[in-house]
Amino acid sequence: MTDDATPDPRPRPDAPHLSRRTFIGAAGGVAGVAAIGGGVWAALVRERVDDSAGRAAATTTTSMAPRTTTTLGGVAGVPHDQRVLVIVELAGGNDALNTLVSADGRYRDNRPQLALPESELVALTGTDFALHPSLASLVPLWEAGSMAAVAGVGMAQQSRSHFKAMDTWWSAVPGAGLKTGWLGRWLDATLEGDNDPLRAIALGGGSPALVGTRTLATVVRSPAGFTLQTAPGSDNDAIVEAFLSTAGPLSDQPELAAAQYAIPSTLSAVELLASVSGGADQEFSLADDANTVTDLLQTAAGIIDLDIGTRVITVGINGFDTHANQLGNHAALLADVGDGIAAFLARLEVDGNADKVMLVTTSEFGRRVAENGSLGTDHGQGGCQFVVGPEVAGGRVVGDYDFGSLQQGDIPAMLDTRSVYSAALDWLGGPTDEILDGPHDRLDLLSV
Amino acid sequence: MTTSGNTTRDQVAWLARRAAWGLRPGQLDELEALGTDAVIDLLLDPSASGVAAEVSPWADLVYDPEQGAQREQGVDALGRWMTRLVETDRPFEHAMAWFWHDHFAVSYAVVNYLPVLLAHLDLLRESALGDFRRLIRDVSTDAAMLIFLDGTTSTGEAPNENYGRELLELYTMGIGNYTEDDVQAAAVALTGWVVARRRGYEVFFAPPRHDPTPQTFLGRPGVSGVDAVVDAAVEHPATPGFIAGKLARHFLGPADTVAVNTLAASFADADLAVAPLARAVLEAGLDGAGAPQVTAPVPWLISVLKATGSSLPSRGVLGLLRGMGQIPGNPPNVGGFPGEQTWLASSATAGRFTAANVVARTTPDGAPVLEAAAARDYDTLADLLLRPAGFSDATLAALDDLSHSAAPRRGEAVLAVALASPDVLIR
Repeated sequence: MTDDATPDPRPRPDAPHLSRRTFIGAAGGVAGVAAIGGGVWAALVRERVDDSAGRAAATTTTSMAPRTTTTLGGVAGVPHDQRVLVIVELAGGNDALNTLVSADGRYRDNRPQLALPESELVALTGTDFALHPSLASLVPLWEAGSMAAVAGVGMAQQSRSHFKAMDTWWSAVPGAGLKTGWLGRWLDATLEGDNDPLRAIALGGGSPALVGTRTLATVVRSPAGFTLQTAPGSDNDAIVEAFLSTAGPLSDQPELAAAQYAIPSTLSAVELLASVSGGADQEFSLADDANTVTDLLQTAAGIIDLDIGTRVITVGINGFDTHANQLGNHAALLADVGDGIAAFLARLEVDGNADKVMLVTTSEFGRRVAENGSLGTDHGQGGCQFVVGPEVAGGRVVGDYDFGSLQQGDIPAMLDTRSVYSAALDWLGGPTDEILDGPHDRLDLLSV
Repeated sequence: MTTSGNTTRDQVAWLARRAAWGLRPGQLDELEALGTDAVIDLLLDPSASGVAAEVSPWADLVYDPEQGAQREQGVDALGRWMTRLVETDRPFEHAMAWFWHDHFAVSYAVVNYLPVLLAHLDLLRESALGDFRRLIRDVSTDAAMLIFLDGTTSTGEAPNENYGRELLELYTMGIGNYTEDDVQAAAVALTGWVVARRRGYEVFFAPPRHDPTPQTFLGRPGVSGVDAVVDAAVEHPATPGFIAGKLARHFLGPADTVAVNTLAASFADADLAVAPLARAVLEAGLDGAGAPQVTAPVPWLISVLKATGSSLPSRGVLGLLRGMGQIPGNPPNVGGFPGEQTWLASSATAGRFTAANVVARTTPDGAPVLEAAAARDYDTLADLLLRPAGFSDATLAALDDLSHSAAPRRGEAVLAVALASPDVLIR
């Protein structure tokens, strides 16, 4: 179960060999390792970034909005190959009913303890829905028309098992037992030239959605601790170079080869991310929950600003499995999500990258309509999602919670989450339907 | 590199990598002299060879409930555990306890009360090779589990199905073998068990909170109470295969279906006794049923600490584990620690490199691994790291190039790269 539940994107034994450029890119960082965080290191990173930006500029002839004039929700037409999709995964099964709150009286009837006080809800202009008060910082996005919500969304054959449900959310083909994820298949389909592991980056843990058959992805569990360290007084450069050398020639044994693959891509990623992730040592603590959506999205914003060809970033955060005493926990989790997304968008604006990014929230299922006896909610079906971006047809809630036709006490998944995925892949430039076993209704989520 | 190899030394080294989490210098010679069968006996039943029974790593830990002391005590407790894993003469008991820790996945982050977590971990170790039914029964009313999956707040009036679901999906038979009605029936039948936080986290059964209404559960009518639920779950025909398959994957990697079916049948025949199953899994591995595996950070680090004799304090050990992304006592979710491919991710790879350098630096002068590394005796170094067939060509060339560059602390540098190499990650 465990092995199936959380496979990470990784180099597949049958993946094409790493390109010479990637190897050289990694090797180029060797000299800088002794000076992590120092001037040499920063210069090396800058060098590669400038190089990458220079190539992009040289090959881009289409009009790109000048950095200073981009406005949220305004300008269309950023070239497809410069667009970045950011997926925020709320793992554990987010309680949709207490996130995107319906005005239907049956919500309150079923939740005598857990229904949010009406006076505290944040109204969504033009709809019957409201947001959890912890999500108040999303309201400006809503008012600006950059954010849409989807209610009663899920997969066909929705399972209440976390793991079954997550497999399906990630593969996006129910019941097929696919080992690939929908983002991984898209990355495979659009792979040209170098198999650069930085095209797809998972922050906060690996998302199986990124698993492809050809694509390499980079998984950074905790950006703050993502460094390579040697002991003081040792020959850093030589040691890192020797570590890199253990990666080649590749063994013909697949498992050993996979472990070899991981090394140069790690050195590349450390080199590039050192400039955006802080790199401070963390003190040991018992509870390993240091990551927040806010921090991870700031790292994502930094990666996007590096402009190194990253197309997909996933941000994973745990804790939404709120079986007990959920009010306080859920409020804190959503505050992190809401504030984190708002701060992310603000950072993108400042960097001039807002037009390049679409953000979609996901979770493996919603939760039971009726509260349980532990001041919590059990696993359910239909959930909610938020979609944020410059070409999102915002200010709307698509779908609804159908309290009239509950399935075993759950909101049914009337809308297919692949509709949301389809809109996201369309925006990235597709292909879409072949990836998602489509076509699926796009729900008019995009304005263009 | 085959799964185990043909010589006695290869086979014993394979057992040591998978089942003992490494050996101290010299032990491979001793075990080779004993022979493969005797080594399996020693792993499974060390008492028969006169090895003293294991005392809990926390036997003399006096818990101070003061808020300010809790964090330090947590670090102390987990540190004792890691130290014991290095020093123990009963390594397979601990490896099996770790399997169950991964299986039940009780996390300090949820339980949030150290003595209860430690008692749970002791239970897993003491029952690690015992009777599976007894283990499930004990865990079902264990304080840590009652908190972890909300049994303590589940009442007849509003049953919480968290434990009932995972009992079926994760702990016994796996998905596809029960219905949502079974989940709810289990939740109702299990109500009434309470952890009394104000009475030292004592577990007791509170009849007023229990719903005694007989439930139809897994096709059985009249099920009520924890014993009946556990019996039905462990006696379900899918349970032996689910557990045998998981244990086989844990120790063997992706084992073939035929081997798993054989293991499941004998596990059922043995009335769910774990020790014979574990023995059969190891024997199947020696017969080539398994595949090369990525070693998770905890067993990887324990192995290299044993091989090097590193003087790294336990606090440092925990810091390295955090860097690699696996913290004992803190599985990230109820599914347990992530699958082995996770440990190839960039974060874990960078963390492993750092850890290897820290371990090499803290390896005492005169340690056999350090001497072999300094002397460019790569065959001996590989053997001390339980790879008697030697390093791969890539690693060998990398080590030799490094040792010929003008690096200060040459032996230490070679050792660090050897420890970090793909060869030592794959077991």
